[in-house]
Amino acid sequence: MSPEQFVDNLISGVAQGSVYALVGLGFTIIYTVTRIINFAQGEFVMLGGVFSFLLFSSVGLPLPLALLLAVLAATVVGAVLYLLAIRPARQASVISLIIITIGASTFIRGVVGQIWGKDYMPPLPHFSGDNQWLWIIGITLVVMVALHLFFSRTMMGKALKACSINRQAASLVGIDARSMAFTSFALAAALGAIGGAVITPLTAPHFRMGLTLGLKGFVAAAVGDFRSQVGTVVGGVILGIAEAMVVVLDWGPFASAYKDVIAMLVLLLVLFFRSSRGAAQEAAS
Amino acid sequence: MSGPILETRGVTKAFGGLVAVDNVDVGIEAGRVTAVIGPNGAGKTTLFNLITGVYPVSSGEIRFDGVPLDNMPPHKRAALGIARTFQNVLLFGNMTVLENVMSGQHPRSRYGFLEAALRLPKSRREEETITLNAIKYLNLVGLGLYAQRDALSLPLGQQKLLAIARALATEPKLLLLDEPGAGLNRLEKQELGDLIRRIREMGITTVLVEHDMDLVMGIAEWVIVLDSGRKIAEGTASQVQRDKRVIAAYLGEEVE
Amino acid sequence: MLSRVRGKWSYLAIAALLLFLVIIPFKWFLGQYTVILIFIGIHTMVTVGLCLLMGYTGQISLGQAAFYGLGAYFSAVLTKTHGFNPWLAMLVAALATGGFAYAIGFPIFRLRGNYLALATLGLGIIMAVLFRELDQFTGGPTGITGIPYLSIGGFTFDSPFRRYFLVWFFCLAVLLVSQNIVRSRTGRALRAVHGSESAAESVGINVAQFKVKVFVLSAVYASLAGSLYAHHITYVNPSPFGFLFSVMVVVMAVVGGLASVWGAIFGAATVRILSDEILLRFGEWDVIVYGLILVLVMVFMPRGLFVALKEAYERWRLTHRQRGAEA
Repeated sequence: MSPEQFVDNLISGVAQGSVYALVGLGFTIIYTVTRIINFAQGEFVMLGGVFSFLLFSSVGLPLPLALLLAVLAATVVGAVLYLLAIRPARQASVISLIIITIGASTFIRGVVGQIWGKDYMPPLPHFSGDNQWLWIIGITLVVMVALHLFFSRTMMGKALKACSINRQAASLVGIDARSMAFTSFALAAALGAIGGAVITPLTAPHFRMGLTLGLKGFVAAAVGDFRSQVGTVVGGVILGIAEAMVVVLDWGPFASAYKDVIAMLVLLLVLFFRSSRGAAQEAAS
Repeated sequence: MSGPILETRGVTKAFGGLVAVDNVDVGIEAGRVTAVIGPNGAGKTTLFNLITGVYPVSSGEIRFDGVPLDNMPPHKRAALGIARTFQNVLLFGNMTVLENVMSGQHPRSRYGFLEAALRLPKSRREEETITLNAIKYLNLVGLGLYAQRDALSLPLGQQKLLAIARALATEPKLLLLDEPGAGLNRLEKQELGDLIRRIREMGITTVLVEHDMDLVMGIAEWVIVLDSGRKIAEGTASQVQRDKRVIAAYLGEEVE
Repeated sequence: MLSRVRGKWSYLAIAALLLFLVIIPFKWFLGQYTVILIFIGIHTMVTVGLCLLMGYTGQISLGQAAFYGLGAYFSAVLTKTHGFNPWLAMLVAALATGGFAYAIGFPIFRLRGNYLALATLGLGIIMAVLFRELDQFTGGPTGITGIPYLSIGGFTFDSPFRRYFLVWFFCLAVLLVSQNIVRSRTGRALRAVHGSESAAESVGINVAQFKVKVFVLSAVYASLAGSLYAHHITYVNPSPFGFLFSVMVVVMAVVGGLASVWGAIFGAATVRILSDEILLRFGEWDVIVYGLILVLVMVFMPRGLFVALKEAYERWRLTHRQRGAEA
C-alpha cells in the first residue's frame, strides 16, 4: 500500500483510539471516585450517537445543535442512572453495584432497540469536508484540555480529584461523597456521548454499538490502571493504532475479521504485566 | 532450641517516600510472651504485616525457625506456624462462631474439592476431627456455649476472643496478637491476660502489640519499643518503663 | 443460620421435589412442558456455577456463554466430524474448557477484582467471533448439524421424554456435588474468602487459588450443559452462545440467589418461563425485563431474590410461631 494510505490508516487509528480514550476516561473517572466499574459506559456512547442522529435527521436540527443536545441528553441519562439505580443501593457491595450497571446497560440497550429498531441507522454527514478523523482528534484534544482545566482550576474538579485520591479525607473537609459520585456519573456520560457523537459520521449508529466501544474503552482504562487519565488516553490511542494496523495487514490470524480480538489481546498483556507487580501491592491495600 | 524462633535483620519497609519500618533487628525467643509497644504510627502493625507476609519487605530478612521467609505468601506462612489476629478483628461474618474456629483448622486438614464433592469417607473423618478440635479451642477461650451463634452477634470483647480461638486453631508455633486489648473493659483485659498465660503454657510463643501498659506489665516477659519505625529500646517491662528514650518518645520530645 | 432450621422438613421437601420432577414429563401430568424443562435443567447447570462464583468470590463472569458454547462445539465437532464416543467427547470438552478457564483465571484473580467481569465479556465476544469465523472447524454461521444422540448400550436418548431424565440426572448430580462442596472444608474456605480475604489468608487459605477453582468449576458445569444441549438439539450454530445468553445467566443467578445452590433451579425456571411468556406477548421486550430485574433485585435484595423470599418466609414463620405461643 502507498505511504498516503498508510498514513491515512494511521490517522484513522489515532482517531478511533481517541474515541476509546474518551470512553475510557469515563470508566476511570467513575472508578476513582466511586470504585464502581460502570458497565453502562458503553451505552452512553451509543446514546450520544443515536441521539445525534435522531436530533439531526428526524427533528431536523442543525448539526452542531443536534450534537450538543445529544450530549446533554446522554448526560441527563447518566445522572438519572445514578439517582435511580446507584444511589438507592445503599451499603451495596461492589459486585452488586456492578450488576446494577450491567442491568442498566441491558435496559438502556433494550429500550433503544425496541423504540428505534434494530437496524443500523445511516451515518451522519462528516462535520466538514472529508476529514472526520481530524475533527475527532481535534475535539478529543479540546475535551482533554477542558478536563485538565476542570480538574485543576475549578472547585468542583478539585473536589472530584480529592475524592478520587482519598474519599475519607475528602469527606472530612466537607466534600460530599454522594454529589461527587453524581458528578462523576454525569461527567462520564458526557465524555462517552461526545465520543459517540463524533464517531457517528464514520460508524453507523446502532443499538448494540455500546458493547464493543464500551469494552475497548475499558481496555484503555485498564492500561491506565483505572487511576491515570494520561494512561487511559495512551491506552486508547495504542489500541486504536493496533486495530488500524491489523486492518492494514489483513493477513492470516490478523485478518480484519479479528479486529475486535486485538482489544482482548491488549487486555491480556495488561493483565500479565500487572499481575506480577499487582499481587503484592494489592495485599497491602 | 537454639536461636530465636523469629528473627528480623535489618528489616525496612517503605511505602513510596514514607518509611514505616526502618532497619529493625528483632529476636523473639521461643515460648516467651513478648510485647511490642510504641506511640501511634511507630510501625508496629506494619511489622506484623511484614512478618505474616501481607507486605513484602523493602530490604532486610525475616527468619522463622531458621527458615528465611523471603517472598512466601501469607497463607504459606500460616501453614508454617505463624498465626495472627487483626486490629479490626475481621471475623467471617457469614459463619457461626464454631465455623469461624473450624476455618482456622484449614492448614491442618487436607481434603480437597474432589473428596468434598463426592463426600468420600476421608472427608467425613477429617470433618469430625476438625469439629472436635474447633470445640476444644472454643472452650479454651471460654466461648463454648456460643458455638452455634452467628459470629457477628457476639459483643466486641467476645469477638476478639473468637479471633484468638480461630488463630489458635491453626495450631501455630508463633501467635501475633494485634491490639487484643483495645476496646475491652478491665475485667475482659484480666481474662485476656489469663488466656495469654494459658497459651504460653501450651508452648506457643506470643507477640502482642498493645497500648495498655498494665496489661503489658502483667504478662510480657520481654518488651520491644518502636518509634517512627525504629527500635529504640528493649528489655524487661520494668527496664523499658524507666528508659529515658522510651519516655521521651511517648511524650514527643527530642532526645539529646 | 437458616440451614439449621430445616432438618427433617428438608428431606421431605427434597423427596417431594424429586417425585414432582419424575412425574412431570408424563402426558397425563405436565408432559407438554417437557422440552422447556429440559432447557431449565440445562440452564440450571450453568447458573449454579455462576451462583457459586459470584456468591463466593464476589466476581462476575459475563462470559459463561463462551464455556457453554465450547462444551457444545467440542461435543459437536468430536462426535460428528471425528466420530468420538459422545460420552468421551463430553468428558474431553469439560476438561478442555476447564483447562482453558484455569489459564485465563489464574492471572486475572491475582489482580484487583473488577477485571474479571470485562475480561470474561471480552472472552465471550472473542469466542463468538471464533465460532463464526473458524468455519473449517465450526461450520461457520450455519454451524454443525446431525449431531448424534447420547446412548448407553442399546438405549438411545432419542426422545424428549428420555432426554428429560438424562438432563435432570446431570442437573441434580451437579447440584448435589455443589452442595457437598459448600458444606465442606472447601465451602468454608470459600465463605471465608467471601467474608474477609485478609483473614482467610491468615488461616492458610490460598485465596487466589480458591477463586480460580470456583471459576474453573463454573466453566466445567457450563461445558457439560453445552454438551447436553448439543445432543438434545442435534445442531449447533453461533447464535445461542452470545452475550445475551451470558446476561441471561447472570439474571438467573441473581434471581436464584448469589451464594445459593438449590436456588439456581428457581432462578433458571423463573427467567426461562418469564422470557418465553414475554417473547410470546410483547416481542423482544425480554432484554428490557432482564435489565429491570437486575437493577431492581440488586438494589432491594442484593443476595438474590430466592434468598430474600426464603428469609421473608422464615421471618413470617417466626412471628407466626410467636403469636401461636402467646395465644
